[in-house]
Amino acid sequence: MRNKVLIVDDSELNRELLVEILQDDYDIITCSNGSQALDIVYKDHERIAVILLDLMMPVLDGYGVLEALSGTQYMNDIPVLIISGENEMTAEQRCFELGVSDFIKKPFDNTLVKKRVQNITEMYLYKNNLEEQVKKQTEIISKQYDMLKEHAEKLASNNVKIIEVLGNIVEYRNLESGEHIQRVKMYTRILGEQMMEDYPEYGLTPEKLDIIVSASALHDVGKISIPDSILLKPGRLTDEEFEYMKQHTTKGCDIIDSMPDIWSDEYKEACYEICRHHHERYDGRGYPDKLAGDDIPISAQIVSLADVYDALVNERVYKKAFPKDKAYEMIMNNECGVFSPKIYECFKKIRPKFEEMAG
Amino acid sequence: MTVKEVYDEINGDYTGVVHRLMDDNRVQRFLLKFLDDTSFNDLKDAIDRNNCDDAFRAAHTLKGVCQNLGITVLFESSDELTEYLRKGSIEGSQELLSKVSEDYSNTIKAIARLKN
Repeated sequence: MRNKVLIVDDSELNRELLVEILQDDYDIITCSNGSQALDIVYKDHERIAVILLDLMMPVLDGYGVLEALSGTQYMNDIPVLIISGENEMTAEQRCFELGVSDFIKKPFDNTLVKKRVQNITEMYLYKNNLEEQVKKQTEIISKQYDMLKEHAEKLASNNVKIIEVLGNIVEYRNLESGEHIQRVKMYTRILGEQMMEDYPEYGLTPEKLDIIVSASALHDVGKISIPDSILLKPGRLTDEEFEYMKQHTTKGCDIIDSMPDIWSDEYKEACYEICRHHHERYDGRGYPDKLAGDDIPISAQIVSLADVYDALVNERVYKKAFPKDKAYEMIMNNECGVFSPKIYECFKKIRPKFEEMAG
Repeated sequence: MTVKEVYDEINGDYTGVVHRLMDDNRVQRFLLKFLDDTSFNDLKDAIDRNNCDDAFRAAHTLKGVCQNLGITVLFESSDELTEYLRKGSIEGSQELLSKVSEDYSNTIKAIARLKN
């Protein structure tokens, strides 16, 4: 409880005059120089409501006190009223610059001093309460923010886990390559970073790219519903078989749709887009929806090229591995799908990185 | 002798001080306290020690007390001395000091009569 008035004056008579004015309403502490005043403030600052400070005093004068307190929390919490016989304008100015709340000149009037002390202590009581409340609320908000952040992190890590588990299932099922998924993720990141840098119009951010890279693991999740006889058939598929094979895109979406409420929308959306559209072609002749141009989500465009490149430079049940030069040429000549001019531009730029990754 | 008569004798501001302190009795109590106020002796002591800083502060304190108590004449002379000493040297303050001593002595004498 702040109910003490600290009176600092080297004249006992002046101190007694002030005590007489204020003793009915406050607890009073008095001292006769600035050094004592600072000791009292440092020790008892939580209970001091106001300091009445004389300027001319031995040992340490009023200015010394103000200089020691100016800019500190003490000065923020406790108002200082100067009571002085100094009548030079500069004295008053200097005191206000050092942060005092009021300057009362001698001779002082009892009623006036009483009223001013009352006003200033009430104002500071209000101000300090407000500050205390704001501090408490800030603490609460900050705690809630931490909790939210923790939840968000947990959710994000759940999303990644779900995708990893599903991805693993595909890997076990799809004998062509256990490492294919990991490599598609890496190609997706390389190409995605270049697209983010060169084509801001797609609104890619590091966070979105992380999600796309993570979701790329599921591009072939639908293949778990394709029979081995088709999936693992060495050599060409019949038209009928190929039509069936195409369904891995939409079946992948069915699998993703069958898991509502366990992952966040943006992860689910990225997975869905990639599953469904990673076989679309920029000229509109892909499948399953025959989307053309930038109607194909950018996530699917990026993963599509990553998938095709990895399929070319590695051996599959139906083909041998192509040399890297040949793979580059085939993609640039539209032999393995048609991509956006922007994707080709980026592919040209990052070719060395892809080839380094391909080993 | 009444408080008002004391103020009349030393040309003090009786109306002002009663207004500020709000009570004739209170004025009387503080006037009597003035007899024990050490600032004048501190002043003389500092002058004897040729310590201008201390002299300035003592004069300043004496001035402030007189101002509060409406002891106008002594306030004026101690104010003048204060401003002289503020410049940092005691030298040449003799005349001002004599005036302060004289006013102080008159004031003390008048207040002492309040006791009777």
